[in-house]
Amino acid sequence: MADKDAEIGFKKETVSKLLSSSFKEDKTRLSGDAALLMAELLKVFVQEAAVRSQKQAESEDCDQVDIEHFEKILPQLVRSSKMGF
Amino acid sequence: MSVDKDETQLRLKAAVHYTVGRLCQRMGEVHRREFSRQVLAAIAETAFRQCGQFKHILTFSPDIFAKDLEAFARHAKRSTVSSEDVKLVARRSTALSIYIQNKSEELNQEQRDLKKKNAGKRKSRDTEERAENKDKTKAGL
Repeated sequence: MADKDAEIGFKKETVSKLLSSSFKEDKTRLSGDAALLMAELLKVFVQEAAVRSQKQAESEDCDQVDIEHFEKILPQLVRSSKMGF
Repeated sequence: MSVDKDETQLRLKAAVHYTVGRLCQRMGEVHRREFSRQVLAAIAETAFRQCGQFKHILTFSPDIFAKDLEAFARHAKRSTVSSEDVKLVARRSTALSIYIQNKSEELNQEQRDLKKKNAGKRKSRDTEERAENKDKTKAGL
């Protein structure tokens, strides 16, 4: 499963551009390694959001994950992420 | 040009949405519970905003990542954000920082292996000779 997970992820270029557009100073750049790590960070975020939403749906006996499930877990996801999951 | 900028942002959003979709599809397969389109869009939107700024890891406030990364780099008098800056930002979240630390080491190891591999191709003969000599010496003792 670890191998499969490694296939899907955010592209280095996408993350670079996303972050670059928010830097205040034009000369600030993102190194290659930093972009790769940021891509990992983003991937972890998405997976956390996804699995928590799934568990919420499961607890409500729903077969599909709907927007309400995501909305319910979002505050806790934010809160717990500040303290390190 | 704001029109170009908007188009770039849209394309970036689409790129994020695509990867979010694939990640969630995989998780749907693994945990046997799939996501509605609305949820995918919501997760993608949230992830997209995360990239902007970064006050605390994974906070819902928009545009949090970049601000802190930039601040760390500037503090170290660099204009290029490095992996060290990312590690610093990740440090606020303990579990995340361990994960990022491991990833960073993996990356370094890969680079070292790659260098070794390339160096090895050129020096393989020398190494073999040296190894032979070493064995001979050991046998002699």
